[in-house]
Amino acid sequence: MGDMIPVSHFSARTRSAVVVLGLAAVLSAACLTDLHRAKRHYAEGRELAAALRTEEAISSWKRSLSESERACLRKPSAHSFTVKGLAEIQLGLWREAEASFLEAFGLGFDKGEAWAADAALAGLAASFEEIGLAAPALRIHAQILDRSDFKPALMFAAERRTNLVLAGAAGLETKERERALAALLKTLDRLVDRDFACGLYHYLHAQVDGHLGDLRRSYEEAVMARELGLPTAKIGRDNDNQLVYCYIRLAGALPAEDRAAFASAHAAWARKWGWRDDRTPAWKKE
Amino acid sequence: MSKTGVEAALARGVEILDRFLPLKSWLLFPVLYSACVWAVRRVFDYRERIMAWQVWLDPEFVRTKPDDFILAFFRGHTALAGEYAGEIARGDVRVLRAAFPALYPVFGLEDAFLKALFKAEIDAADYRTIVVEFAARTARARDDIEPAAADPEFWKALVAIGAEAASLGLHLLKDEEVQDLIVGLIKGPVVLGPTVPPEA
Repeated sequence: MGDMIPVSHFSARTRSAVVVLGLAAVLSAACLTDLHRAKRHYAEGRELAAALRTEEAISSWKRSLSESERACLRKPSAHSFTVKGLAEIQLGLWREAEASFLEAFGLGFDKGEAWAADAALAGLAASFEEIGLAAPALRIHAQILDRSDFKPALMFAAERRTNLVLAGAAGLETKERERALAALLKTLDRLVDRDFACGLYHYLHAQVDGHLGDLRRSYEEAVMARELGLPTAKIGRDNDNQLVYCYIRLAGALPAEDRAAFASAHAAWARKWGWRDDRTPAWKKE
Repeated sequence: MSKTGVEAALARGVEILDRFLPLKSWLLFPVLYSACVWAVRRVFDYRERIMAWQVWLDPEFVRTKPDDFILAFFRGHTALAGEYAGEIARGDVRVLRAAFPALYPVFGLEDAFLKALFKAEIDAADYRTIVVEFAARTARARDDIEPAAADPEFWKALVAIGAEAASLGLHLLKDEEVQDLIVGLIKGPVVLGPTVPPEA
């Protein structure tokens, strides 16, 4: 105790410096914690979404956004703004994500500018759709699909473009409709080639195949979509319904010998997925 | 476990929620039922979960399904096949397509919130009313829950109701029994079935 120097021994200036340093250390640690938590919640959201637990995924992304906002306020960094932008994208907040990625770019994240541009385009397309202007929205989606490397924007554009084209094709003459769907299929083929592991692209492919009556391909694509994972529970359930629909139609149309082999293969998938039988996914109550 | 204890807790819940959702008894059911489901699953972020259902209320892919898929859906669902037997036999896709965006999310995708929202019609096999009411009721649900959702006391009350019911053995009741309890409390007497291990 005799070696300790009383606080009053230090000058007021030194004491202030120590206090400032201490505060800085505490704030820095808190900031790291916010960012760490934001990243953890974001990753959790991705895992939950892959497991088709959509509501919980959204909840995690909201927490990620809240933590990253705090991190950006306490200690703005390219990293914290990037995480914030990614959480915003998962919540469909494209305009906010654009601003976050631009901040991240300004703080040294090289891809931030391109991601901000893609987020801006996606937000613009969403706005056009909201006011019922499908044509400009389609053009923007096409541009994103042609030029972007940013996966969330690509997935958004692929899903929206597919829905818009399918909706528009319903009122067309048969030939025109087939032409429109064939063009859409080409776009989806390109996306599948670029990123074969993306379940959503296979799901969209299965939907368009179903519209064109190619149920064998639709079934195969739906199986791949299920195996690779889908972004929401509802899309996952719809994909299961598509599988059952294709299975029943195909099994009914196949010759007896092929039908047995197909039924056996489908039963193996159904067992793997934990379905109650070859037509009843586990989540179905009826 | 005390069934009457759970029922009493839910009755208090109805009373409390009625203060936040005055004259909106139809919204009490899905909100209270959701609270019960999440209480059993020991989930505490009720707010996000209640509000999240809006995000995927009416997926657009429902409206673009091919005719044959729609026909297969109606044929494949026993109750709907009976209700729409005439349209199916005539191949009247126009009527089936118009009904599909309401019925597919409820019976094809089994959206829990929508099933709760239309429980009375489902129980009464009144499927055509679901079609007629779908757009208006879901829009009202979105609008009517907003003022309550903005009040932090609403969420506190919801957590307290779920926690109390859970502590009294809510998890030992089947989903259908919990639903019947709530419906009974909102609209009349309840007939309790036998208790079974939890499904949630």
